[in-house]
Amino acid sequence: MKLVWFETLKTFSRWRTYIGFGVIALIVIITEVVMKLSADEILYRMLRSLEKDFLISGNVLNGWFVTAFIMNTLHIHMPFLITLVAGDVVSSEATSGTVRLLLIRPPSRSRIITAKYITTFFYTAGLVLFLGLLCILLGLTLFGSGDLIIHHYGRFGVIYIEEAEIPIRMLFAFMAAIWSMMAVASIAFLLSTLAENSVGPIIGTMAVVVVFLVIGNFPLDFFRSLKPYLFTTYLTFWQQFLDDPIPWRQIGSSAAILGLHSILLFLIALGVYARKDIKS
Amino acid sequence: MEETLQREVVLRTLGLSKKFGKRWAARNLNLEVHRGDIFCFLGPNGAGKSTAIRMILTLLRPTSGSIEMFGKDLHQNRRDVLSRVCGIVEKPDFYLYLSAYKNLQILGSMNRSVRSDEIMEILDVVGLKSRAFEKVRTFSHGMKQRLGIAQALLTKPELIILDEPTTGLDPQGMKEIRELIKRLSHERSMTIFLSSHLLSEVELVATRMAVINKGELIAQGTVSELLGNEATDYTLQASPFHPALELMGSLAWVKVLSVGNGAMEVRVEPGRAPELNKHLVTHGISVSSFFPHRSLEDFFLKVTGGKSEI
Repeated sequence: MKLVWFETLKTFSRWRTYIGFGVIALIVIITEVVMKLSADEILYRMLRSLEKDFLISGNVLNGWFVTAFIMNTLHIHMPFLITLVAGDVVSSEATSGTVRLLLIRPPSRSRIITAKYITTFFYTAGLVLFLGLLCILLGLTLFGSGDLIIHHYGRFGVIYIEEAEIPIRMLFAFMAAIWSMMAVASIAFLLSTLAENSVGPIIGTMAVVVVFLVIGNFPLDFFRSLKPYLFTTYLTFWQQFLDDPIPWRQIGSSAAILGLHSILLFLIALGVYARKDIKS
Repeated sequence: MEETLQREVVLRTLGLSKKFGKRWAARNLNLEVHRGDIFCFLGPNGAGKSTAIRMILTLLRPTSGSIEMFGKDLHQNRRDVLSRVCGIVEKPDFYLYLSAYKNLQILGSMNRSVRSDEIMEILDVVGLKSRAFEKVRTFSHGMKQRLGIAQALLTKPELIILDEPTTGLDPQGMKEIRELIKRLSHERSMTIFLSSHLLSEVELVATRMAVINKGELIAQGTVSELLGNEATDYTLQASPFHPALELMGSLAWVKVLSVGNGAMEVRVEPGRAPELNKHLVTHGISVSSFFPHRSLEDFFLKVTGGKSEI
């Protein structure tokens, strides 16, 4: 516990840790303010097709809708912001030379690496929760509350979720988003144990995410056959908590795949670092 | 009893070797450090000193050989052994964005629970108490070096390992570190293992020493055994200067090599340096400094019989 506390203290004492929070705040504020200013246009586009088949009343463009809308962009900018810290958490000790003071202490390398991984989880969770809470609080303030009406993810149609049910669904969605982002963080973390500075792990992780996303979205049979094996396929499984009915089986399978992916990467990082010669 | 304590081996390496690719950075090192020693590991840059220290402090995995500390195998008793050892490898690097106090709190607490007053006391010992809450980013190299020693002391180690602790310091800083090392050895009964490429530094602080070159151990023993009285060249400062110079010219077993800056370099027959000092004093000449003048190159030639080059 002490090691985790010290790692957390070190991580949150650095200004680069707050870049992610700053960028998210900027994105959320700009998006929500622009949405507020363009509310009429957004409502028109939303209701244009729906009003042919449904009778819609009440506050449709509400804080929950805005939150779901912004969360959809999660897999685009969040991986980069996460790698800023996850790719740096181990390699920065080599860059600064502090690794030579750290690894000559009684705690084993495995314990130190585990503490750093837990800290990476704290950062990732903090970043996703910050995004979620900011979206909701600012959204509810600017747009008010109401039932959630959104397009069905992955197939044609709309989903309607009653206002009372939304908070718990959002909570699960955020938990799932943290789980997804930990898969990205684990890649950066593994690369961080191999590198002596944070540039390689950040670029390397982003390259993996981008390449996997591109491969997974190529409209060719060969690439489609690869899709189930790419972790990026499951990154957006949090959206399924806003589905109706909630596909628990699919969610469980996506969570298990991402979880195994993260554990495997962590175990590799552990093995690599335990045997690594510190030459820096 | 004192003799027993003096002879207790706190660090022993057996056939310690490290190979990087095809190159042996250290080969078959058999070192022995006794309790209470100020043990100096002497060798030129690139000789393998840091590699050996990194293996002793578990930063590098030996290719072969073993390390025992306090009678226990290091790799089988890592936690127990490392809780009794601390050190600085190369330069002391800290978390620059944290204060000296916070750095010590984090690093010290990895060994044992440290109290706030202990941290302040150690900072006082190294002369950094007034800067305790300033970020390390603002510290000079000398201050970081002292903070490095502070973090080592905070863990109350029985053995401190310092890799070239005076590198990059000005003469005053070097002197301060040397005095601190001696004080730690005498007042806190710590065993100190330090590496250096400066022969003069070894002579000033060490009780025992080992010499390494090109990864291999050349010699090991007490400083007097290895350096002995073989040195024949001395730097001498005396006054009045000219009568001292004339007196020396009259002695057949002394040869004046050079004169300048109020000092002279002289060559004395082996074993007769004390006699020269006495001779000068009895002739009313006061000797303000008289110290052997040896280069690492000369010393290497001596201990290797001219077979080893730096």
